[in-house]
Amino acid sequence: MGKEGGCGQNKTMVKQEQELANRPDNTAFTQQRLPAWQPMLSAGIVIPGFVIIGLAFIGIGVALFITSKNIQVMEMDYTGFEPDSDCFKCSNPEEKNCVCQLDFNISSRFEGPVFFYYGLSNYFQNYRRYGVSKDDAQLSGDLDNFKSPSDTCSPYDTDGIKPIVPCGSIANSMFNDTFLLYREVNGTNELVPLDGKGIAWWTDYNVKYRNPNVTPLKEAFEGTVKPLFWPRPAYELDTSDPNNNGFINQDFLVWMRRAALPDFRKLYRRIAQGDYARGLPAGNYSLKIAYNYPVLSFQGRKKVVFSNVSWMGGRNDFLGIAYLVIGSMCVFMSIVMLIVYAKFKFPEED
Amino acid sequence: MKLLGATAIEDKLQEGVPETIACLNLADIKIWVLTGDKLETAMNIGYSCNMLRDDMNEVFVISGHAPPEVQQQLRSAKERILGRSRVSSGGEVEKADDSVFQETIIAEYALVINGHSLAHALEPQLEHVLLDVACLCKTVICCRVTPMQKAQVVELVKRYKRAVTLAIGDGANDVSMIRTAHIGVGISGQEGMQAVLASDYSFAQFRYLRRLLLVHGRWSYYRMCHFLCYFFYKNFGFTLVHFWYGFFCGFSAQTVYDQWFIAFFNIVYTSLPVLAMGIFDQDVNDQNSLRYPSLYKPGQQNLLFNKRQFFLCTLQGMGTSFLLFFIPYGAFSVMVKEDGSHFTDQQAFAVTIATSLVIVVSVQIGLDTHHWTAVNHFFIWGSLAAYFAILFAMQSDGIFRIFPSNFPFIGTASNSLSETSVWLVILLTTVVCLVPGLAVSFLRAELFPTLTDKVRCLQQSRMRRGPREQNLKRGRRTSSRRSAYAFSHQQGFGELITSGRNMRMSTVSSVCSPGRAAHSSTWLENILKRKNEVSSYDQSVKIQVFLYIVT
Repeated sequence: MGKEGGCGQNKTMVKQEQELANRPDNTAFTQQRLPAWQPMLSAGIVIPGFVIIGLAFIGIGVALFITSKNIQVMEMDYTGFEPDSDCFKCSNPEEKNCVCQLDFNISSRFEGPVFFYYGLSNYFQNYRRYGVSKDDAQLSGDLDNFKSPSDTCSPYDTDGIKPIVPCGSIANSMFNDTFLLYREVNGTNELVPLDGKGIAWWTDYNVKYRNPNVTPLKEAFEGTVKPLFWPRPAYELDTSDPNNNGFINQDFLVWMRRAALPDFRKLYRRIAQGDYARGLPAGNYSLKIAYNYPVLSFQGRKKVVFSNVSWMGGRNDFLGIAYLVIGSMCVFMSIVMLIVYAKFKFPEED
Repeated sequence: MKLLGATAIEDKLQEGVPETIACLNLADIKIWVLTGDKLETAMNIGYSCNMLRDDMNEVFVISGHAPPEVQQQLRSAKERILGRSRVSSGGEVEKADDSVFQETIIAEYALVINGHSLAHALEPQLEHVLLDVACLCKTVICCRVTPMQKAQVVELVKRYKRAVTLAIGDGANDVSMIRTAHIGVGISGQEGMQAVLASDYSFAQFRYLRRLLLVHGRWSYYRMCHFLCYFFYKNFGFTLVHFWYGFFCGFSAQTVYDQWFIAFFNIVYTSLPVLAMGIFDQDVNDQNSLRYPSLYKPGQQNLLFNKRQFFLCTLQGMGTSFLLFFIPYGAFSVMVKEDGSHFTDQQAFAVTIATSLVIVVSVQIGLDTHHWTAVNHFFIWGSLAAYFAILFAMQSDGIFRIFPSNFPFIGTASNSLSETSVWLVILLTTVVCLVPGLAVSFLRAELFPTLTDKVRCLQQSRMRRGPREQNLKRGRRTSSRRSAYAFSHQQGFGELITSGRNMRMSTVSSVCSPGRAAHSSTWLENILKRKNEVSSYDQSVKIQVFLYIVT
């Protein structure tokens, strides 16, 4: 009797265990009982929030707008599209080694440091086929790619026989106008010193683009040719300064960092040395341009820009105005929401 | 003769069955009962569950033996409900007149049909009439139904009504019905595991159906719809930026973003937050979901994700992409770095737009999440942190030295994200993308609150006041055997018995007060919802009285 009872007890225990084995877990995670924060969009949060955002944006917008208005910018188009401009004679594609001159006057002191940009319009550096047309390995100094450039560079990878270094369409189309700035002082033209150091990104200059580890640099380029549109090969980009020669030439780096939009500016030089460290004094200036770069065939335009900078970068009215507009809209919407809320909520009781 | 005694066999209703049925009725779920028991037993069950009530306008009993008889009975039932003039010769219900349906909403009818008659009624020429009458009635009880016929009834509803059917049963004879319905639920228990093995969901007691539908089913619908809406919005916002950029890059299919960003966006940067929302989000907690069954209606009426909602979230995605592109475009036309060097290049543009995008979609899902668990926090903030970590890692010097061709974006992140103007652009873009949606949802919740909004408000205020209400958790049932009885309101069958026609076996329903709870073992009921129909098999109470008559 006792044994049977024991057996029976075992059976119920086993059955209970079986039942319990099927039972789902009773943890907070599996039963969706995790402690949680349940925020609700109430009027007490949204309306003051909008007011705060609006006021903050208006403040930022005012600061940006005022800063932007204090930045001086001077742009001059020198494509030579109009017949009365001096550069009209250079716009003829037959002309080689043409030099034209732009005279301009600065009425009040242009605060320094002044930055000298060249700008291009209707120039699609962001075109995809153009953008992939370069060989990063070659440009970081890998000699294997000197012999056989990557086929992303085609059709600018070989000239038929020899490989092109640096290959690709971006390098090939490098901007090659040069500028000399003169200031009229006591009847003579004084050359304004232009500083070309450090105009490219530090990471581009030190990491991304490296010359091959061969001295003299010319030897690395044995058996290769220069890009088709270049007047000189890469190892002669700046013979006076070996730190500005080859692939780490600052102008080359600035050009290789392709622009996002069809109208862009790139930094050419800085005017920050000697007498001009505090800016360009008022007076007459003339700009001598070695006009080498043809843009009229695709309705492009070239210009030079003088500008100074502030904590928010160059002159940018858009950002200041946008902040002001959005800030005022936020404040306006918060007032509207307050009115609507007061009108509709309070007549009816919850 | 001397009456020696009486024996009775009772099959009890499970605990909580009438409450469950009442609750599901409030949630606009139509419940049909398909049972193998006799007519009288089935009607007893109906009364004890409050499915049939004395104050119902009429209870139609279809028990004809021949097709013309069945047809005539169905027709007359329909005429009684709709009024003579409305029934056309084809037997179709005219939907044009609203007053017809208003009448049926106010008046309550019940239909009880025999298995015999059902066999005739399920034939092609009669099935429409049957379906029409059945759908006009509040309760449908089919008795003496074979397993095959149960499946046929479910099939009938599935085929001709735009409704979702759920079948719940516990025996092997329910398997065909469970498999036919959209959702099959098996009750594990006394009858074995056949129904459970054939079903999509199974649990041990009928009353858990309420939780399955009103809590888990509703949450599932809510989560799925929000997940989908957000997913479309996010991907439209991400992709359509290229459409706008096409106008400015000569339509050359130049991507705005880094290749790695495109690869990682949907996998790493934005997948986990939306997953957390799809798993954990709750609009209303479970107690309130059970307390307010009409919260179930948005799911039935397909309110949370339909063409309009899809269009709206697509529009939001397009608007976001427009702002994501054009605000940086406006700013980048003339932007330079603080040290004067330009950085309006393709790569800085890409990083700016990519960062704005990730921040906008992360904050948007933060605004969409209503139930923030620790997991949600971790996933959302973690994804943002992961984005910045991966961005700086992939655009660092180290990895460029190892793979120069694959990581051309070297230096971009450190150069562009250290500029104040870039962060001002990102802040502006974020606010402009998010604020309209915020304003619209706030105004909509305040001016045109849905039931969900009201319950959520209530929930919040209750939580603030403190947990005064206790957790109404019932103890676990250890045994389904209780001593209680099924009662019905109907007049008894004493007449039938004394008439002498049923000598051996008869079903007796004893009249009792309506206050007692009904407990029967293995109640399986058919629940057919108007939009979601659930058919289940119920085994009705068998109370059989044997009269021993000694002559």
